[in-house]
Amino acid sequence: MTATQERTPTQGAAPDAETGTRTINLIQAVTETIAEEMERDSRVVLFGEDVGARGGVFMATAGLQERFGPRRVFDTPLSEASIVGAAVGMAVRGLRPIAEIQFADYMGPGFDQIISQAAKIRYRSGGQFTAPMVIRTPSGGGVKGGHHHSQSPESYYTHTPGLKVVMPSTPYDAKGLLRSAVRGEDPVIFFEPKRLYRAARGEVPAHDYVVRFGEAAVRREGTDLSLIGYGGVMPDLERAADALAAEGVSVEVIDLRSLVPWDKDRVLSSVEKTGRAVLVSEAPRISNFMGEVAYVIQEQVFDSLTAPVGQVAGFDTPYPYVQDKVYLPGPNRIVAACVRALNY
Amino acid sequence: MIQPFTPEPIRFVAEDGTPVQPLPERFTPELLRELHALMLRAREFDRKLITLLRQGRTTFYAQSSGMEATQVGLARSIRVGHDWVWPYYRDHTLGLAMGVPMAELLSQCLGTNSDSSRGRQMPHHFAAQAQNFVSISSSIASQVPPAAGNAMAQKYLGVDELTVCTFGDGATSEGDWHAGLNMAGAAKAPAMFVCENNQWAISTSIREQTASETIHIKAKAYGMPGYYVDGNDIVAVMEVCAYVADQIRAGHGPALVECLTYRVGSHSNADADAEKHYRTREEVKEWLGRDPITRIEKLLEHLGHPVSAGERAALIASTHREVDEQVLKAEATGQPDWRIMFEDVYADLPGHLRDQEAFLRAEQTGQAGQGGRA
Repeated sequence: MTATQERTPTQGAAPDAETGTRTINLIQAVTETIAEEMERDSRVVLFGEDVGARGGVFMATAGLQERFGPRRVFDTPLSEASIVGAAVGMAVRGLRPIAEIQFADYMGPGFDQIISQAAKIRYRSGGQFTAPMVIRTPSGGGVKGGHHHSQSPESYYTHTPGLKVVMPSTPYDAKGLLRSAVRGEDPVIFFEPKRLYRAARGEVPAHDYVVRFGEAAVRREGTDLSLIGYGGVMPDLERAADALAAEGVSVEVIDLRSLVPWDKDRVLSSVEKTGRAVLVSEAPRISNFMGEVAYVIQEQVFDSLTAPVGQVAGFDTPYPYVQDKVYLPGPNRIVAACVRALNY
Repeated sequence: MIQPFTPEPIRFVAEDGTPVQPLPERFTPELLRELHALMLRAREFDRKLITLLRQGRTTFYAQSSGMEATQVGLARSIRVGHDWVWPYYRDHTLGLAMGVPMAELLSQCLGTNSDSSRGRQMPHHFAAQAQNFVSISSSIASQVPPAAGNAMAQKYLGVDELTVCTFGDGATSEGDWHAGLNMAGAAKAPAMFVCENNQWAISTSIREQTASETIHIKAKAYGMPGYYVDGNDIVAVMEVCAYVADQIRAGHGPALVECLTYRVGSHSNADADAEKHYRTREEVKEWLGRDPITRIEKLLEHLGHPVSAGERAALIASTHREVDEQVLKAEATGQPDWRIMFEDVYADLPGHLRDQEAFLRAEQTGQAGQGGRA
């Protein structure tokens, strides 16, 4: 699939003369933010497989080596353990590494480094040594990638104390969350929903801003049902909400944006208002992070619920190649779950 | 000039204490006595910790008896507090010789309030910021890629530091080990990888560990020199490690040093009777004959500056006294309370941990509500 990726310019549209905002896509937001952070702080270095001259297999780092030189933007050996582990060591020694793992599916060989080193060095050394670092990685399906290019492994990482786990679904959030990640003091796993790289377009302000972790975004307000998701499924939540709106149902759509920490208050107040919740993610269902959200909802606002919490997830199978679109929770499956909750 | 890839371990002093090649000038009787004292102190520290273990005052201990020349020699070959060290779990002698206070090591083993890592790690997993002695992780070889990264950062920052990464022979079978050496080699990072080859990974012998005749020859695969050293000859360890450190500082990239030594005791208290289960008494006896402390004592005797029985006894007694004093001091600081569980997970306490801390506070003060969780 990577061979079909075209080198595309990363510049967005010209800024609005009055507001300075521009419309760009999600991958442009990533590229721009890395560049801006490298400009701002000489401790920021970027590395991974093919991120240099090639600009990354999705072109997320296109032009950055040219701009910042091979000392700050460089290709590494083909080894996720090295990439993640080296980021830990660099961070401990005072740099601000941004490591790219080519696909979230390939984080396996780096898993020990993530959970044994990055996540725990602050805790186990009593704060004497810390690893502020970002691991960026494209994740999720919808690009005909088969199971080694389409998985959603976020729950492995939300289960590990010491890591922060985020996933934007808009260019605005990609910029704001990535800035927070690079400027923060903790290791961050930054999942980029690859099917939205070019599909998600939106306005970004010209000024420097951050999106703080643990603050969900209300994409639309509603009174009948809370539809909650994150990452690549968000456009499907919007489509489902549109379809339900046509039937007179008022849906509140919430984008979690960050999973650890996650915005419990926003979710609970929404569910208290609507009385119904449907949780959507494309990761396999067993031990899915949304299971945690469902648990907290039933534990804390059980009396507000007028229906069981609904969940739409991926299947507990390896991600399929041909049945890509069938595997993913699309608008129809989301609408069906909402209807079940509404008719309970 | 010291040669890499020698077929036999580089050695200056034979097992009977006679030099097999001229001793470098810096090895004056005064220095040799100082090294002897450091090694003996580490050995006695081991003995005392076993006693503490038997008394139930600590729960785990991994001796380094027999490996003192390797660890003390390495410590004395680098710039302490300037260079960075990513150690493995059997490196308390390295820490002691680098000047990590004995109080710090004991506090960690006892898990008291005076432990800088606040009782969060099992005994024997130290960290010491002042010495750039980075926190020890139990997962084998997981410190190797970070050490490569630490060295890459040093190169990026343009500082004349180097990074030392230690590990046992077992670690060389792990993927992380190969990944880390390959990365450091490709990046020409200023890293010195030191294999403390004590020939046993718990109960797995080096012969079962690898088909490779030695560890140091693996360096060839990563484009770096590999040095083979008699790890029980402190003169050899210091000469080779100091030479390698100079080479690295001169910009020649990383190197692998294999110190051939022997773990005389068991892996830990978990396999207290190693000879009964996986190795022979004959083998242990043979290696006791190559003991690094005995060897330096014989060398000093050969040079006409013997350590007297009285001096030796005084050194042992003062170490035991120091351990006893520091243990009492550490224990007097008490155990860290439950709050430490929530600190240092993140830079700031996130909401879910605040809730869980509040839940535990209520439970601990007898005010917990009915069921549920934070």
